[in-house]
Amino acid sequence: MFDVLPDRLAWYTGGPILGLLIVGLFVVANQPLGASGAYVQTSGLIRRRSDVVVWRVWYFVGLFVGGLLVTQVFREGAEIRSGYDAMRDVFPLWATIPLVFGGATLLGYGAAVAGGCTSGHGMCGTAQRSPASMAVTATFMATAILTTFVLRIATGGDL
Amino acid sequence: MRLNIIGLLFGIAFGGVLAASNLHEYDTIHAMLRLDEFDVFWFMASAIAVSAPLLYLLERRGMNTPFGGELSLSRSMPEKHHLQGGALFGIGWAIAGTCPAPALVMVSSGAVLGLVAIPGIFLGLHLRERQQQSDQHVGDGEHRMAVTADH
Repeated sequence: MFDVLPDRLAWYTGGPILGLLIVGLFVVANQPLGASGAYVQTSGLIRRRSDVVVWRVWYFVGLFVGGLLVTQVFREGAEIRSGYDAMRDVFPLWATIPLVFGGATLLGYGAAVAGGCTSGHGMCGTAQRSPASMAVTATFMATAILTTFVLRIATGGDL
Repeated sequence: MRLNIIGLLFGIAFGGVLAASNLHEYDTIHAMLRLDEFDVFWFMASAIAVSAPLLYLLERRGMNTPFGGELSLSRSMPEKHHLQGGALFGIGWAIAGTCPAPALVMVSSGAVLGLVAIPGIFLGLHLRERQQQSDQHVGDGEHRMAVTADH
């Protein structure tokens, strides 16, 4: 709408801001800024569990709203599109959908087994100097890079 | 109530930073994991480089937080499930090119396939939850205790 933000914030701006947010949530509530926990609480709310951590649901909503503010209000305003451009260049839509869904299911399951994801373990856990989080992070970085190269070879270098 | 507003604000800020850094785009994550572009690695590293020393100092000072008591960091030793979960997460992350927080931003940026990724993440988390009577606070990463209500 207003187009006041650059097309992409440089890592040396975005990274330190995120670092301060991580510290901020610890300072205010003594809690990590993990995202998969917010999914767990949100699905708990949808299934009407009684022990839902409600503020994590608001956090879930906030992630969506924050994205909306930046992409639609402070930038030109992104149009409705499929996304996944690099994958769509290689695969037709009928193949992209199950790939995205399957990958997402796998990462959700893995995050539940590990107890956290890129934010909870990768950044917040590592920032707390937790050996478990460092092990999770090293493992998912390694398998993700490996999987990307396997996909690259399997598609003849296209993906 | 006040904690809910704080949760909302931190969500907005985190989602905003992810969006401003284009981390919600498959192409950004894909370029990172192809090792074509190192910006996301530097992004994560600089976030940790800023937060780790500050958290260390605040914990040593025994800081009292308004909603969560004394600031206490959590450190546990790696167990088998950390490595298994991390390995599966990495494979899924590489295929879907997104993870839980950026997937939400993907949808708010207008990318419709994000609506395929989010139910997948819910399903994956749910499948695990059904397998075991899991801890209620699974998924937050490392922490000692959950804060559920205002103090």
